[in-house]
Amino acid sequence: MNRKSLILLISFISLLFFQIFVFNNMNIFGFINPMIYLVFLVVYDFDSDQTLFILVCFLLGFSIDFFSQSGGAHTIATLTVSFLRPILIRNSYGVTSEVPISFQADTRKINKYTFLSLILILHHLIYFSVVYFNWNAIYLILRNIFSTFIFSLILSVMVLNFYRKSDDS
Amino acid sequence: MQRIINALIQYRNSILYFFLLSCSILFLSKKSKYHKTQLEAYGMYATKELYNLNYELLNYFNLKKKNEELLKENRKLKELHLKSNSLALYPNAFGEKRRFPFKLKEANVIKNSFLNQRNNLIIDKGSVDGIKNEMGVISKNGIIGIVNSVSKNYSRVISILNQEIKINVRLKKSNALGSMYWKGLNPLEFKIEDVINNVSFKKGDTIITGGMSSYFPYGIPLGEVVDFESNSQNGYYTINARLFEDPSLVNYVYILTNEDKKEIKQLQENFKDE
Repeated sequence: MNRKSLILLISFISLLFFQIFVFNNMNIFGFINPMIYLVFLVVYDFDSDQTLFILVCFLLGFSIDFFSQSGGAHTIATLTVSFLRPILIRNSYGVTSEVPISFQADTRKINKYTFLSLILILHHLIYFSVVYFNWNAIYLILRNIFSTFIFSLILSVMVLNFYRKSDDS
Repeated sequence: MQRIINALIQYRNSILYFFLLSCSILFLSKKSKYHKTQLEAYGMYATKELYNLNYELLNYFNLKKKNEELLKENRKLKELHLKSNSLALYPNAFGEKRRFPFKLKEANVIKNSFLNQRNNLIIDKGSVDGIKNEMGVISKNGIIGIVNSVSKNYSRVISILNQEIKINVRLKKSNALGSMYWKGLNPLEFKIEDVINNVSFKKGDTIITGGMSSYFPYGIPLGEVVDFESNSQNGYYTINARLFEDPSLVNYVYILTNEDKKEIKQLQENFKDE
């Protein structure tokens, strides 16, 4: 097992742990629970096999669902995002995504944050649609997407910065 | 086989995705009552729409068959209707086994003229189907004409929109006889003559067939009285009548077969000979 895989394994477990025990219990303003485990979908290698990636993401979503007693909404949202990730990569990085490059090293910050935002928006859209699952709740869904997205973005950027430092060292 | 495996390998991500997605939807519906009922509601809606579509399509393709069946049924009902109209003339038609001499055959109109002074129709039944000259032709709400020439598969019908044809009619209430003919312009407007001055009737009275000819049975409703004037010189009314149904717009007709026609004709000829 090389170093990259080890980092991914550790981040998988730690993100899962923090999400379940810390961020799922934050309840900012009473209803916002930021989702930072999506950082895993950002730091995972671009040029690795997607089949394995889909499986890992299914496992991640399923574990979150399992430990937070939330049906299957996290699984569906995470799985869909992982399946659509190549499209999101192409949209946020352009043609350079075809070249196998190490993610943290060379790309510009704006691309990374676009990618993160796209993943968060897509995930929240699917997640809250599945949770409410009713056209009449469209206002509630949009409000939740917007407010949760802001907090998830802020916290995810902080976590990503931590990755950057640990990678450099 | 190799190709199938290749395709499976090529689309393995999508296959895996949809497989896992269906698994998670299954978990979702198992775990949450709310999602289960919602999913069932959407499923019901989709199946309902599908079944509806299927039903409508099948209905559409069966329309022709249904039409034919309905025409046959209508023919039977029409026969009964004519019978019941003629009860006055055939008092035992329902009770005993005495027969009602008129039988019906259905036919489609394939050509119908109404712009000339002497109009005619072509119908799609001919000598093969047992059509003969001088049979009466009626529609659902009135009479259409009389067959005057028959080929193997088609027949020509002289329309009542023909100023030379006079139809034997009665006023339903007073039972007074008259003869009706077309005025020549509007296919609905007819004139009735030879109604004797001493009967009383009013506007809106129904006009029915008279039953005095061997073409049509007694009692088919034709139209109603629009207005009338009494002619004191010759002692007859002149009545303007309006048909219930426009004979120029008819698609389906019934051909009347009078089984007693030969007998009646024979009697008339005997009378002439004497």
